[in-house]
Amino acid sequence: MPDCDSMRENMPLLLTESLDPARRELTHQHIETCPMCVAEWSAYKETWSILDTLPELDVPARVKQRFLAEVSPAVTPNVVPFRRRSAPRWLAQAAAAVIIAGGAFYGGHRMTPRVELTPTPATLVNVQPAPFYSIAESRVLPAASISPQIEGRPDIQNVQFTDASPSNDQIGVSFDITSHVTVTGRPTDKSMVRLLRYVLENEDKQSPSRSRAIDWVRSTYAHVGNPDPEITEALANVLRNDDNQGVRIKAADTLRSLQSTMTDGTRDALVEALKNDPNPAVRLKAVEALAKLARSGGNMDPDMVDTLRKKASQGDENVYVRVKAAEALSSIQPK
Amino acid sequence: MKHLSDQELMSIVQAGDFAPASEIYDRYSSRIYNFAYRFLKNSEAAEDATQEVFVKMLKHAGQFHGGAKLSTWLFSITANWCRDYLRKAENRSKDGEDVLITLPAPAELSPERHLERREDEQRIQKALTLLSPDQREAILLSRYQGLSYAEIAQISGCSEGAVKTRVFRAMEVLKKALTGDARGGDRCLTAIP
Repeated sequence: MPDCDSMRENMPLLLTESLDPARRELTHQHIETCPMCVAEWSAYKETWSILDTLPELDVPARVKQRFLAEVSPAVTPNVVPFRRRSAPRWLAQAAAAVIIAGGAFYGGHRMTPRVELTPTPATLVNVQPAPFYSIAESRVLPAASISPQIEGRPDIQNVQFTDASPSNDQIGVSFDITSHVTVTGRPTDKSMVRLLRYVLENEDKQSPSRSRAIDWVRSTYAHVGNPDPEITEALANVLRNDDNQGVRIKAADTLRSLQSTMTDGTRDALVEALKNDPNPAVRLKAVEALAKLARSGGNMDPDMVDTLRKKASQGDENVYVRVKAAEALSSIQPK
Repeated sequence: MKHLSDQELMSIVQAGDFAPASEIYDRYSSRIYNFAYRFLKNSEAAEDATQEVFVKMLKHAGQFHGGAKLSTWLFSITANWCRDYLRKAENRSKDGEDVLITLPAPAELSPERHLERREDEQRIQKALTLLSPDQREAILLSRYQGLSYAEIAQISGCSEGAVKTRVFRAMEVLKKALTGDARGGDRCLTAIP
């Protein structure tokens, strides 16, 4: 029989799910048959869970200011010749400002809009006021309306050239470009809600970026009495669909903190995560959110209660998930 | 810039263009700051660490190799900075100066919730101070940054086995401090001299 000490050394690796399959199996088998190690494993998980409650701190804005000030001569945007970039992934020059003077010149047609912002109550900063502003649009601009000075490092892609027609001497250069837009408004403004929903569901498809978006949504809406249900629905979609377990954990945890607008859809997403998510930490966050819902007398359905019941008694489930499921069941008031 | 990979951003920096500085800062400053704060338990020092780590990143960009992860390299710089800070702080203490321990400004919470959260936070931070710097570094990188033991070993300049021992011993101390559970602890600790 393997000795307890070597098994206990493996426990932190079990917690981070980084033990190789053979040793994971061996360690689990040992824990199941050793009363001392069962207690030890339980204490390890409890400690690990307590550590999770240490909040993430925001970096004071002054730190970035100081950093950029220290290196400012080097980061001052360069004026570069207007030329097509050779690298294929020169994307999203967020800070680059391609000065397209006189936005009102634009005509043409809109491409298929993905998110449209209505002009009120959100406002646009540093952009010519326009009665309608779409962040997915196509413009046709006369060359005379464009500053000859191309500033920053404009990111252009999909460049196409239109030859001069026999009837005139006009040529055309079309390209896709990403410009930097700041939308300001209250967290409750529908335009803002819709934009955040889009960001949560589509942002880059890259988890670190989406993770930051979730953090920001969480801190923003923590102080809003009843966040728009679209926010929680977007988080529910992230919980259902994101490949990254860390992002799913954050989505579930944020849903727990935004309980006041829990819809049937978001509750169902938590129940699905509790049932099917392969990561125990995600299931744990999901059951914690459901437990909070149960305690608050929120909207429950038979499937949720049934799932909690099954989880509370499921022998091979994570101990903490089982305990939380049992707690949630005990909180449910008979109607 | 935000769609560029870390390696692509660093290639630009290595070519002498510091335009990606802001984007790299945005990606990693929170992780660096939180690591430094939890390591040093001092918000002012954590701010200095964050600022100086990114300045060093730009100055020594040539030392970054594309095969490595940027996060690992940044945490190496941060861990070095923090160890250095602790050494200097120890010397200052010997000279009779106090090491300033400060907490960040409180979030907007109800007074009860704020008090509760602050107590939890203080309890964990206090428990973390019971660890040796090596143990604290290992547990912070493992628990809060999700780094593998191989990455931690690279950052700390030790073997993976040493990281495993440090994390294990750290967990024993934290378990005792946070749950009051000392079961098996002595036995395990004596098993690893």
